[in-house]
Amino acid sequence: MFEIIKPTINIDFMAKRKLWAGLSVAVILGTFILLNTKGLNYGIDFTGGAEVQVKVPSGWDIGKVRNALSDGGLQNFKVQQIGVPADSQFIVKAAGDDKSLNSVSAKIGDILKKEVKDGESKIERVDVVGPAAGSSLRMSGILSMIYALICILIYVAIRFDSRYAPGAVIALFHDVVIVVGVFVITQKQFDLTVLAAILALIGYSNNDTIIVFDRVRETLHTNPSLNIITAVNKSVNETLGRTILTSSATFLVVFALWAFGGKALEDFAFTLMIGIVVGTYSSVFIASSLVVFMTEFQQRRAVEAKTGGPGKTKKSYTVRPDPKFSP
Amino acid sequence: MTKTWWWKFSLLAVTVLFSALYVYPTIANLDLETTKFPVKQKMNMGLDLQGGVYMVLGVDFNRVYKEVVDRQGQSMTEHFKEKGIAITSATLVRDASAVAEDPQVEVKFDAAKTNEMKEALKKEFLTLRLVDDKPGVLRVGISREYKNDVREKTLQQSIEVIRNRIDEFGVSEPSITSQGTDRVVVELPGVKDVERAKDLIGKTARLEFKIVNDGVLSEGQLAGMIQKAEEENKITYVEGKTAFSEYAKKMNDLLRDKIPANSEIAFERVKTGLQKDAPSTRIPYLLFSKADVTGDDLQDAGVSLNPERNTPEVTLTFNPRGAVGFDKVTGENVGKRLAIVLDNMVHSAPVLQTRISNGRAVITLGRGNHDQMMQEAKDISTVLRAGALPTQLDFLEQRVVGPSLGQDSIHKGSIASLIGSALVFLFIMFYYKKSGVIAVVTLVLNVLFVLACLVGLEATLTLPGIAGIALTVGIAVDSNVVIYERIREELRHGKAIQAAIESGFQKAFRTILDANVTNAMASIVLLVYGTGPIKGFAVTMLIGIVTTLFTAVFACKVFFDLYLRGLENKGAKTISI
Repeated sequence: MFEIIKPTINIDFMAKRKLWAGLSVAVILGTFILLNTKGLNYGIDFTGGAEVQVKVPSGWDIGKVRNALSDGGLQNFKVQQIGVPADSQFIVKAAGDDKSLNSVSAKIGDILKKEVKDGESKIERVDVVGPAAGSSLRMSGILSMIYALICILIYVAIRFDSRYAPGAVIALFHDVVIVVGVFVITQKQFDLTVLAAILALIGYSNNDTIIVFDRVRETLHTNPSLNIITAVNKSVNETLGRTILTSSATFLVVFALWAFGGKALEDFAFTLMIGIVVGTYSSVFIASSLVVFMTEFQQRRAVEAKTGGPGKTKKSYTVRPDPKFSP
Repeated sequence: MTKTWWWKFSLLAVTVLFSALYVYPTIANLDLETTKFPVKQKMNMGLDLQGGVYMVLGVDFNRVYKEVVDRQGQSMTEHFKEKGIAITSATLVRDASAVAEDPQVEVKFDAAKTNEMKEALKKEFLTLRLVDDKPGVLRVGISREYKNDVREKTLQQSIEVIRNRIDEFGVSEPSITSQGTDRVVVELPGVKDVERAKDLIGKTARLEFKIVNDGVLSEGQLAGMIQKAEEENKITYVEGKTAFSEYAKKMNDLLRDKIPANSEIAFERVKTGLQKDAPSTRIPYLLFSKADVTGDDLQDAGVSLNPERNTPEVTLTFNPRGAVGFDKVTGENVGKRLAIVLDNMVHSAPVLQTRISNGRAVITLGRGNHDQMMQEAKDISTVLRAGALPTQLDFLEQRVVGPSLGQDSIHKGSIASLIGSALVFLFIMFYYKKSGVIAVVTLVLNVLFVLACLVGLEATLTLPGIAGIALTVGIAVDSNVVIYERIREELRHGKAIQAAIESGFQKAFRTILDANVTNAMASIVLLVYGTGPIKGFAVTMLIGIVTTLFTAVFACKVFFDLYLRGLENKGAKTISI
């Protein structure tokens, strides 16, 4: 048997759980700060605008394309080269209101037709999104993410119990925020494709978490007297081989999509690559830590309820068993 | 092998065979028209793969509301005039308090009649709601129910107007659907000229009423003439390929000297079957060119039930100017047919029974059962309303993909998926040895099943969809890994090979199910809220989840049992996993 992870492995993941939690909270807070200061580089799907992919005769460089278009009377636009220079393909991005956007592709087509011989230039792709459509796409994107999270919260709460559900959802939230954070830092364009990848990631990363949770549940079921920390540690270790294997396999696929799938799949695959790494981390470190936290919290509450805890009178002091050592 | 195993194996074999049958036409690129192959379905390629135009159109409802409330104000004036209350003015509110989404009309009349008016309004104008009242002045807006009704009908008629022009695009599989409550999505595969498509779609609908020139040529003669002209000039009309207006224009040009100078040829399209995609035939009409009444003259149209026979019929209300015109036309042409023509396409040609002077007409329908008549009445009233209340469509989103870019995407996407899958296969075989080979076989079957389901369900494959298939491989591996790791664990605990396999599969099942169900939920959300290509991704993911459950749990076990039998025959004590 070939094994990446020896079955005897026993890493104490939970010992440093406050460190992991702190680290993640810091990264999440950092992302929110950056979101408000630097902001995401939204694509036209969300801001509205026009994007036209053109093929021009070989030998044209970005400056020539830019000059040709501005001489032709196009205003308020940016040019960007895509692929290898031999493809001589460029993306022209233009901003404006509904009316001017609607005529952008026709205008670019006309300008190029005047500049070069027939058939030497070609409009490969046009995306025009009006400002109103952009904001509604953004809204439905955010909503879809919230709905996905709520569905998962309910399912986990029903199939497992209330101790697990917050862990699963917070871990997913964590993954989403960090992936968004990567997009803020790299200022890569954030568009509908990236959003779709993030939603796919929610499904994938939750898969990981569920498998760890499933094992925790089983461990506690066969051995109810086990301390929660020991149980979680045992479960994470037992599923570690699987976690790493699956993540590597999926990563390989996504990597291939990123490397060979062309421009159209690049961003989608990039998002998933980041997501798989973050999702694996969160399943092992964050989701499981939250189960420990929730269990301890509930135990404390149960003890407080029995002893009439601090809930009733604010200044009462109680001596209670340390849940870490209680059976 | 046991009898149960053979049953399971047969089931698997049949599934594989069927899937292969469904995938073959796409892989071999068969010509579906001529092939003798039993399965006549191919994979639907999304617009991003085959090239084409995708547009999202918004309907400007506020304009419609304004028009509607204004017309309601006019009809109130008339209504109360008959009752003896003189309304001095009914004008649209244009002051600062006017809101675009809720246009209102201010009605002025004799102050003494205020209470009477309020009562009458409540009882007789369910379409309106009272916003504000002062003696002698009432302010009314559209009632909530009526607003929803208007909204729904307007969306429907916008779709109908575009569908009416569909032949102009020369597209074999156009799709026009509503999205939410205020949008229309138009997908035109293969269309490159977005500007022309926009011109056609953005054009305001034009409704005309024209008298059918029945006396000159019989229907048979007209049809014969057209057929002859088609044959002589080698014109064939192919549905989905020929632009309709060009065809109609050619026919009129060719037969110009054979028909009266004041007439023209127009066509009605009639479906030959009940199915949605049934082919349609063209029924020619000889119409007087002059339109006596147009959509501008029509105030409203709707469906109502005939009080005596309880059958659905279409009601038309003309505005005062239209009523005059309609009176003249009906007076002069009793017994003749009046064609309803939307954007030069005939939709119906009812016979004029009598002169109609009050601007209120009813179209009774022919035979058929209640549901069919209801549908027909709705269709006709939608066409009429489209002309009476033309809507303004705004282009919210347009996406065009050139055919070569689409080809390129298919090519690169498939290559990347193949490389990705190959990497995973090598990895799994390296890690799990012979059991890994079983896993790879199930993964290959999984991909086959996903493709077959896509063809069978007539789902559309998009570029993200290709990524979804690749990702399915990645996620399906997970199920194999979960099972195999379980089996390894059981073996480590000292269980015999067979027992380890049984309990491995059993214990892993619940985990796999839970994991896949949550994954499926995220995909369903994507399916519901996603647009265009993203929907394609969600579809392949969902199908992939189902096939993964089948292959990883069921198919994999069948192969394992076979492998186990081989081990037993050889008397081996270890398993390669």
